[in-house]
Amino acid sequence: MTVSLARCAYHTDRPAFARCMSCAKMLCQECATQWDGIWHCASCLGAKRGTRRQRSGAGSWIGAAFLSLMFLYLGARVMVWTSAFIAGLF
Amino acid sequence: MDERVHCGTVLIRAPLSTTSVLDEAADTVRLTAPWTAVLILTALPYRFLQAMFFDQLLEVGSSASQYGNLLGATANLIVASLLLALWGRAVYARACRLAIARGDAPGRAAWRVPPAAYASYVLTASAMIFAGYLALYTIVGFIVTVMFAGLAIGTMELNERVGVFAPFRVMARYAKSIAVPLALVFIFFIALLVALVNLWAAFNLVKALMTAIGGFDAPRWPLLFGPGNRRFTLIVIAGAILLVEPFWIAAYVVFVRKAGAQESGDDLRAWFAELRRAS
Repeated sequence: MTVSLARCAYHTDRPAFARCMSCAKMLCQECATQWDGIWHCASCLGAKRGTRRQRSGAGSWIGAAFLSLMFLYLGARVMVWTSAFIAGLF
Repeated sequence: MDERVHCGTVLIRAPLSTTSVLDEAADTVRLTAPWTAVLILTALPYRFLQAMFFDQLLEVGSSASQYGNLLGATANLIVASLLLALWGRAVYARACRLAIARGDAPGRAAWRVPPAAYASYVLTASAMIFAGYLALYTIVGFIVTVMFAGLAIGTMELNERVGVFAPFRVMARYAKSIAVPLALVFIFFIALLVALVNLWAAFNLVKALMTAIGGFDAPRWPLLFGPGNRRFTLIVIAGAILLVEPFWIAAYVVFVRKAGAQESGDDLRAWFAELRRAS
């Protein structure tokens, strides 16, 4: 096992203890807080608690939904084409 | 292991390796046993329709290209049932992550899958299914897409916001340590074969017992539950996939958790905590 020499983003004299899963900053034991099984820094945790909550924009939802539907539609078509092609080989 | 579970500590305790991921995945599946019912129930229509699709395909055989409408209609039903199956997987993956974090059986919190995480998972999973069928000819491409499908469910809850590219970036971050997730694909392929043989044997054992005990005469059963019945074979394959799926999801959730812990030093902290408790 290798021991990381990374330092805390807020206290550079302290060794890193965890990484914030939201902003990927290295954190010392004092700065790291585990919430719902995931490590967060104070600012990201504050944002999660709603003080500065970052919501996904409507554009992101529409984009993700459009792409998902497109992949699902194309997936169904490709499933048929691929299967018919493979069945045609035998 | 049992002592740690009763203490309510995190399950992560060994450095990242394929064997440690499988070991902890087995513990996670044990803790999330009731949630496997949700996973299996939501996946049943999807797997049944897949079996039906391949049955139709084998029925029409080499003239499959002339039955595009029939196969297309079934494929559309498969895609519709996939959304339910993906939700079941999302609930199960959340249950696994809660079990890993708490070292205890997850409660009702497992139902509360964040909508952004589910939407991100639908996007990544549908992309992987599309890529999987596209790469079916190239065996290597198919293996890689199966690996990324596993990473998609493993990283699902790390997506706190919906984005078009963000979920793929998260997956790519965890794909850097490619050896373990790729090894998991091969191991679960072998596990699928083992599950298939066991399920087949279980059906035949029940059939033999029913015939032997009480003089129950079932002359049609060997025909129905034998290799000659294509539908039975397809249903057994679908059943084997259903049996392996909880372990597959748990393994990728554990992998993502362990890979994240390794880069943060979380595993080191957990290891020291265990050593302190043991001394």
